Amino acid sequence: MKKTKLLNSEAKWGYGLVAPTIIGLLILNIWPFIQTLILSFTNAKKFGSYDFVGLTNYVRMFQSTEFWQATWNSIYFCILTVPVGIILALLLAVFLNSKIKGKVVFRAIYFLPMVVAPVAVAMVWKWMFNSNYGIINDVLGLHIDWLTNPHLAIVSCAVVSIWSSVGYDAVLLLSGLQNVPKTLYEAADLDGATKIQQFFHVTLPMVSPTLFMVIIMRLMSSLKVYDIMYMMISESNPALLDTQSLMYLFYRESFVIGSKGYGSAIVVWTVVLIGIVTALQFWGQKKWVNYDV
Amino acid sequence: MKRLWKTIIVSALVLLTVFAVSGCGTTDENADTGGTTTLTFRIWDTAQKDGMEKIAQAYMEKNPNIKIEVQVTSWDEYWTKLEAGVTSGTAPDIFWMHPNEILEYADAGILADCSSIVDESHYSDNSINLASGSDGTLYGVPKDKDTVGLVYNKELFDAAGVSYPNADWTWDDLTAASEKIYDTTGKYGFMAYADEQLGYWNFVYQAGGYIVDTEAQKAGFEDEATKEALEFYINLQKNDWCPDQNYFAQTSPGDTFFSGNGAMFLEGDWNILSECENNPEMNGKWDVAVLPKCPNPVRGDGRASVSNGLCNATTADGKHKEEAMDFLEFLGSEEAQRIQGESGAAIPAYIGLEQTWVDVFKEKNYDIDVENFIEMFDYAVTSPIDKSRPSWKTAVNAQLLKIYSGSQTYEEGLQNMQDLVDQAMVGY
Repeated sequence: MKKTKLLNSEAKWGYGLVAPTIIGLLILNIWPFIQTLILSFTNAKKFGSYDFVGLTNYVRMFQSTEFWQATWNSIYFCILTVPVGIILALLLAVFLNSKIKGKVVFRAIYFLPMVVAPVAVAMVWKWMFNSNYGIINDVLGLHIDWLTNPHLAIVSCAVVSIWSSVGYDAVLLLSGLQNVPKTLYEAADLDGATKIQQFFHVTLPMVSPTLFMVIIMRLMSSLKVYDIMYMMISESNPALLDTQSLMYLFYRESFVIGSKGYGSAIVVWTVVLIGIVTALQFWGQKKWVNYDV
Repeated sequence: MKRLWKTIIVSALVLLTVFAVSGCGTTDENADTGGTTTLTFRIWDTAQKDGMEKIAQAYMEKNPNIKIEVQVTSWDEYWTKLEAGVTSGTAPDIFWMHPNEILEYADAGILADCSSIVDESHYSDNSINLASGSDGTLYGVPKDKDTVGLVYNKELFDAAGVSYPNADWTWDDLTAASEKIYDTTGKYGFMAYADEQLGYWNFVYQAGGYIVDTEAQKAGFEDEATKEALEFYINLQKNDWCPDQNYFAQTSPGDTFFSGNGAMFLEGDWNILSECENNPEMNGKWDVAVLPKCPNPVRGDGRASVSNGLCNATTADGKHKEEAMDFLEFLGSEEAQRIQGESGAAIPAYIGLEQTWVDVFKEKNYDIDVENFIEMFDYAVTSPIDKSRPSWKTAVNAQLLKIYSGSQTYEEGLQNMQDLVDQAMVGY
């Protein structure tokens, strides 16, 4: 009975159709991850030769202040980008969903940063933030070291990150908004609810599944931030250690310095960190995500 | 029947996708077709692509059965890619090697022994050293050589009424001129930033100090001369006329110079041609001088310019090693080195061909005295080479930045730099 179920024609079609993705995932994601896990227990340097060294990399990692600083930087970056980014995206989505002229044009404009290569985005912002010749200081008439002040540099990176992701998140939330049945608003109107009350008691609960997905995705990508920092904070920047994320530290250890083993340990730690954060989210969603229609 | 066709088409598509995914990297780029062998030649400098292609062209004319493909990979990706290629057996047939990396590659047995195809009498000891492994064997064919010069903005000097830098200049003249220029024009003087070959190394060697002593397995940061030079160099940023490290982290000295906001900085000869091409409006308004000397060196005569040089190499177990070696030999010939010089790509390593590179500037009507770069070969110092350098380079730089930012004292910083390098050298 079981056998026929596995191999009936519908199942065969199913397997055939998911095969490309699954095989790609296995070869391009799962297998490299297993190798990374193995590498993290070795002293791998260059050219693929290595010896197993047990937990040495992890011991060194947990004793390193640079590593803890990078972990904090990654978490701090999430704190800076996720709440602000999500709130802005939600407001933007509500705005783009309302009856205004040129809605389509606005949608395209806000989505634009997502289409531009992150490297190009970072390059342009880097010049805007330039403390001597940048447009931001010029307009403000101030002299603020946006990119080299150890306390400010990470905030500047967060601004760029929010700017480039807010449009994409808004479009995702917009799709959620458009699935909210009009009848709910009509009912709320009849009950005398104000627009603000409607937002909190109708819109927010109805869009919460989409919101949950957006938050998870944004948290993961913020924990993994690399490209913006790499482009904006160079090796010669005095704020490097106070800004670098775990992924930046991993890049520098693995590819600049060449300690592949130690770099792998950092990656494994990052995966664990993301795992914990995501698990917490799934646990917490029961309290606020509404799947009933 | 229709159903059957559908099944066949879909299965074919699925199979194709599977092959496309799993087949990455197994395609043989160097497939021999009709008796021609294709060799890949990987470099990192776009500015030198034309020059390298001209050399390849000259070789292909003589060897019609060989096709050479020049590939450019940016410096940032070059080493990651090369290492991955070497590890997985898909390295390019011929590639540039940098002194930073050659020791690790050579000592790991990756590079082919080139001693039989190089006539050492045509190259300086510097060039030979920079192309050798720790065992003293040549693992590359010397390609070019370089020195560092003092680039200056004539207009700012004129405006401040300061005479141009010359061979008699000392560090004191450098600071005095910078101060005068800043006071009169409000533009920066000498832009001293945290850089190795284009920065403090030159000052250290001029004072008679050193960075690493490979024989003694020891760094030179505790050496009296090194200390003096570094203190002088780092303190330059305390002057109003020199931007600080915060500035340089955002704006390069080159950008500042060519926008007319700074009067002097150290530049390597390999950048000069593209700077001429990119800033045509500056032609005739800037020039290059030999480096100012140390007025009171602890050792030596106060003169030095850190010289580096690349070489061309191939892997010891390449698929087309024989052909690659033959092309390598050609790359080291007078003919190929002459083409390299005449293309303006870089100063040929081959002794006696330096003028070919100088002439390029005259031909293109760039009014700049690049002969000064050649002159400095008389007292050029080989760039510090040590196998462990990749592992301490960033750490030492981080210490240097901490001194600049004031988060550690000069003494603490130098002590840390010394310890870092000493430990790294023992580890290798």
